[in-house]
Amino acid sequence: MVVIHLNNFLVRRLLLIIPIFLGVSIIIFLMMRMIPGDPARILAGENATAQDIQNITDRFGLDQPLVVQYFKFMSGIFTNSVRSLRSELPVFEEVMPRYMKTVQLSSLSILIATVLGIGLGIIAAVKRNTWVDNLVMGFSLFGVSMPVFWLGFLLIILFSVTLHWLPAGGVGSFRHIILPAITLGMATSAIIARMTRASMLQVMNQDFIRTAEAFGINIRKIIMKYTLKNALIPVITIVGLQFGYMLGGAVLTESVFGWPGLGRLIVDSIFSRDYTVVQVGIMVIAMTFVFVNLLVDITYAFLDPRIRRS
Amino acid sequence: MKKLVLLLFVLSLLTVGFAADYGGDFVYVMGADAVTLLPANMTDNPSEAVCRHIFDGLVEFTPEMEMVPALAKSWDVSEDGTVYTFHLQEGIKFHDGAPFNAQAVKRYFDYTIENPVKRQSLYKPFIKEITVVDDYTVDFELQFSFSGFLSTLAHGAGLIVSPEMIDKYGDDVAMLGRNPSGTGPFEFVEWKRGEIIKVKANEDYFGGRPYLDSIDFKVVPEDITRVMQVQSGDADLTMRVPPIMKKKLEGDKNVELKVEPSLRVIFLGFNHLKEPYDDVRVRKAINYAINKEQLCNVILRGLGTPSDSPLSPLTMGYDETGGYPYNPEKAKELLKEAGQENLEMTLSTPRGRYLQDYESVIAIQSMLSEVGIDVDVQPMEWGQYVGSLFTEPENAEYEVFLLGWAPSTGSADWVLRPLFTSDNFAPNGNNNTFYKNERVDELVEKAARATTSEKADEYYAEAQEIIVDDAAWVFLHNLSQLVMYNSDVEGVDILPIEIVLVKDAWFKQ
Repeated sequence: MVVIHLNNFLVRRLLLIIPIFLGVSIIIFLMMRMIPGDPARILAGENATAQDIQNITDRFGLDQPLVVQYFKFMSGIFTNSVRSLRSELPVFEEVMPRYMKTVQLSSLSILIATVLGIGLGIIAAVKRNTWVDNLVMGFSLFGVSMPVFWLGFLLIILFSVTLHWLPAGGVGSFRHIILPAITLGMATSAIIARMTRASMLQVMNQDFIRTAEAFGINIRKIIMKYTLKNALIPVITIVGLQFGYMLGGAVLTESVFGWPGLGRLIVDSIFSRDYTVVQVGIMVIAMTFVFVNLLVDITYAFLDPRIRRS
Repeated sequence: MKKLVLLLFVLSLLTVGFAADYGGDFVYVMGADAVTLLPANMTDNPSEAVCRHIFDGLVEFTPEMEMVPALAKSWDVSEDGTVYTFHLQEGIKFHDGAPFNAQAVKRYFDYTIENPVKRQSLYKPFIKEITVVDDYTVDFELQFSFSGFLSTLAHGAGLIVSPEMIDKYGDDVAMLGRNPSGTGPFEFVEWKRGEIIKVKANEDYFGGRPYLDSIDFKVVPEDITRVMQVQSGDADLTMRVPPIMKKKLEGDKNVELKVEPSLRVIFLGFNHLKEPYDDVRVRKAINYAINKEQLCNVILRGLGTPSDSPLSPLTMGYDETGGYPYNPEKAKELLKEAGQENLEMTLSTPRGRYLQDYESVIAIQSMLSEVGIDVDVQPMEWGQYVGSLFTEPENAEYEVFLLGWAPSTGSADWVLRPLFTSDNFAPNGNNNTFYKNERVDELVEKAARATTSEKADEYYAEAQEIIVDDAAWVFLHNLSQLVMYNSDVEGVDILPIEIVLVKDAWFKQ
């Protein structure tokens, strides 16, 4: 019975992806064309002649009607014949490696943020209104308020320039991902810590916990099993949302550490008016967001039988 | 016997000294990734910097902007200046094994002329036909004599690509740009987009094996991170160091800072079709009212020199005109004469495109307010900016704008023709000030057709005098480049075309 419900729910959610996909593609297509600036002129470089600019315009059909350009683009997506205006490579060859790098970075970041955030949140909740709680909440305030690039540079100065423990940027080994992952995860861990604490406190005040305490169940078991499991649902929503934001918006961290992720590619491509790369990049991010949200909803269903049955 | 011992001693020293120089993996960090490694299709600096390590041209620029032989041993020019005959180096192979010869030269330039690559117009209008005379002699027949022709061959687009690669990937410029094979000192290994380009020493390089074993060109967009990477030893060289960090870095013994001139001039362009900028007195007044020395020393922190010509001093054909020394009194007088004592001016500028561009404009705003000009500063994003600056004369809304120009061929023609001749009015050409002077048109044409460079330079000098006398622009400054590298490194070449080469560099042991 449960399985059938879940399937219905899944099918409905999956079907919703189609209009979202089309909507995003049209909006981003139009937005790129509304930004002033001629891609051919920018791509041709500063010493370009009128002929150079015309060559680029012709090759990519930039002077064709918008509707024609849109349909060419959409059909090109499915035949993989869309090319970057700038590098002239198939657009997926530009976007996918960068996307994978962003996924790598975001996954490690969200892992660090979740473990750290939930851990600190539990401690703060259990030791509420003591100096430990204050310390944790102080750290969390600091984490949320710290701009990514300030934190990034501080970490570089400490761990790379002064201590020489970790590389100051770039990619290659596992050592390269540590600083950017911490930088990107810091704010999220702070948010998760606050959310966990609040949610834990709420659950701890409920009757069933008091009952459990009255039964004399081991306190560790009460916290880890009864309280945490119930407190986790809002936390998971936040984790999912934050993960989605990371996948789309790690631009600052990527810039500071020279991490070749998708966010940075999209920003560069906006500046050079590389329409196709921006369009595909944004569509990939939007689809990821949709899937992460779907995953979060499914996770709810597993954690909370009430949602599963509704 | 003594002599022999001495000789042996000297020889052993030589070999020791020599052996010690070889080896090492160099890390070169750039702010942006290369776009393509096909010389004929590149328009950006990172691509050219990488290509100049992988490929050679027939001729090349030195850091002093002299033209020296590279793949061409020597050349002759016909009496009328229309045929250039190149005698090529023999026995060279491309990295993919294809032989370098006259056929390869013809193949590459024909490819560039026949395909809509981004640098097509550098050669197409000039070259009539390329003929293979024998395996190591090739003739370039021009449409008309053109004194700047050698400079166009020394341009990055003149770096020669293996004919085998053109046969294989020629239909797809993107693929050709991803599979570079040249004759240069370094051989392409791999390219991870947005991340790294690896090249390794070409053991058979005709100029002798390079000292370095390999170079990693890494991409790190953030200026400050790049600087820290060199400081921490993760990287060996970077450029575009923020001038604000100069003082601090000068105290660091582990790094070397070099300030070298570039060909880039920064200027304020006037829209000559708009009142009152059609009045030479107003244009002169603005030139006099700006203290260029102060801009260079304070805003640019010494990374620029006041300019007195549309050409930078290292551009071939430069003439020292004296320019407009700071003189606010004279400026006020001229404005009064022109009846523009309460001028309101719109000054548009990019932000972050050129070194301290917006900051310079803000300083200029206060300098001009002292002579009674009220400046409205309009900063713009680059893409929008160039879009708004290159429109039909009747649609040109702008009054005064800041722009930079660096002739990528290093020649006067590449400044004066596109920016000052009336055939090149925007949007078809780059003359978006709509400056028009028949004598300048004539001089530029005459200089281009001149058969000797002395003659050409004479015409160029006269043209520069006229342009400065007309105050066609506000001549602001010539930009310098701030390059930073590991102090163990020697032999870095900083070209005025804003390219830094490490092909002859080595690590001190």
